Amino acid sequence: MAYQLDRITVLVIEDNQPMLDIVKALLTTFGVGQVIGAANGEIGFKRYHEYKPDIIIADWMMKPMDGISFTRRVRGDEQGPNPYVPIVLMTGFSEKRRVFQARDAGVTEFLVKPFNARDLYKRMVQVIERPRQFVKADGFFGPDRRRRKDSAFQGPYRRDTDYQNPSVGGALQLKQAEAHAQLFKIRESSGIGKGDKINLKTRD
Amino acid sequence: MAEDTHYNQAPRRKAEFIRPNNTLKAKVGSGGISDDILNKAQALLENHSADFLPLAELYLGALVKGIEKAQEPEFEDQSEYVISMMLYPTMQLKANGGMFHYHLITIIADKLIQFLEVIEKADLDAVEIIMAFHTTMRAIILGKITGTGGSHGKELIGALDEACTRYFDQFPKVKSRLDDYSKGKF
Repeated sequence: MAYQLDRITVLVIEDNQPMLDIVKALLTTFGVGQVIGAANGEIGFKRYHEYKPDIIIADWMMKPMDGISFTRRVRGDEQGPNPYVPIVLMTGFSEKRRVFQARDAGVTEFLVKPFNARDLYKRMVQVIERPRQFVKADGFFGPDRRRRKDSAFQGPYRRDTDYQNPSVGGALQLKQAEAHAQLFKIRESSGIGKGDKINLKTRD
Repeated sequence: MAEDTHYNQAPRRKAEFIRPNNTLKAKVGSGGISDDILNKAQALLENHSADFLPLAELYLGALVKGIEKAQEPEFEDQSEYVISMMLYPTMQLKANGGMFHYHLITIIADKLIQFLEVIEKADLDAVEIIMAFHTTMRAIILGKITGTGGSHGKELIGALDEACTRYFDQFPKVKSRLDDYSKGKF
């Protein structure tokens, strides 16, 4: 069983023609059914209305409309085909404040150039498998900007829900059993019973 | 019940949370794509023959324009504008260099971005360093030095690092901005 990417349309907005060709070729190799290209945000916005893409991949720096303005326009366009469409922003910037700027505009994912095929694929998996909820608040409409610090963390969160996750719950129970065994050993070697009270004296 | 307003905190904003239907997932299903396809895509990326030279010339030309503006007296008070003029093409060089097999350009342009992000004004000392970056990148492009440039590439990076360090030693305020930048505070 594999992704049926032939069922989706991806819009790529990039003013650098060779780069646009490369991204289109990568997506076609992945098996994406329809890959639409646009040379800037202005044309991209028209294509967005025309083709109703499932994913948009846009460059940041473009004229006359850059990727950030394009994103704001898509998110703010009530007549648009899909204001929730995932937008992946490609850019050479990787600085924290730039990421925040993109996030505040409503960008879903950030793809730092230069990237490799797996980087692009990972962003696609992210928007397919882990879509973000949207937030509508004063002055903002876009994907929830709060992100778990470690999305790859599979360990316990010290919550009841840990036990509902079979892989985490199992590991946690094993760890607890090991800890109990260790405690038992300590008790046995020191001759302390389970209910014994211990008076700890501080050293002078 | 607690007061809604607090003198020391930003006012609470009402937000609506929406969980849109995952139509994308419904369309593509499960299973991902195979390693074979990913390797094929990566090979395509590594072996494409798109020419970087025209693009690089365009961005290096834009960088020169920024350098020239920085030297004009009427732009002396417009450092932010002049720096942004140089930042844009540098970012493009960083972004696209590696995509077109010029990884050394990406490394050097990244260093120049770091420099441009922390300097407060494009004074004569700063411009001298930016020119050194430009000359180096131009030599790499004209010499068609693809990849990381091996030991020669390391030497070039080392020389540019040294020039930047000398500048930062001369301007401790900028150095502290660079430290903040490195820590992601910037």
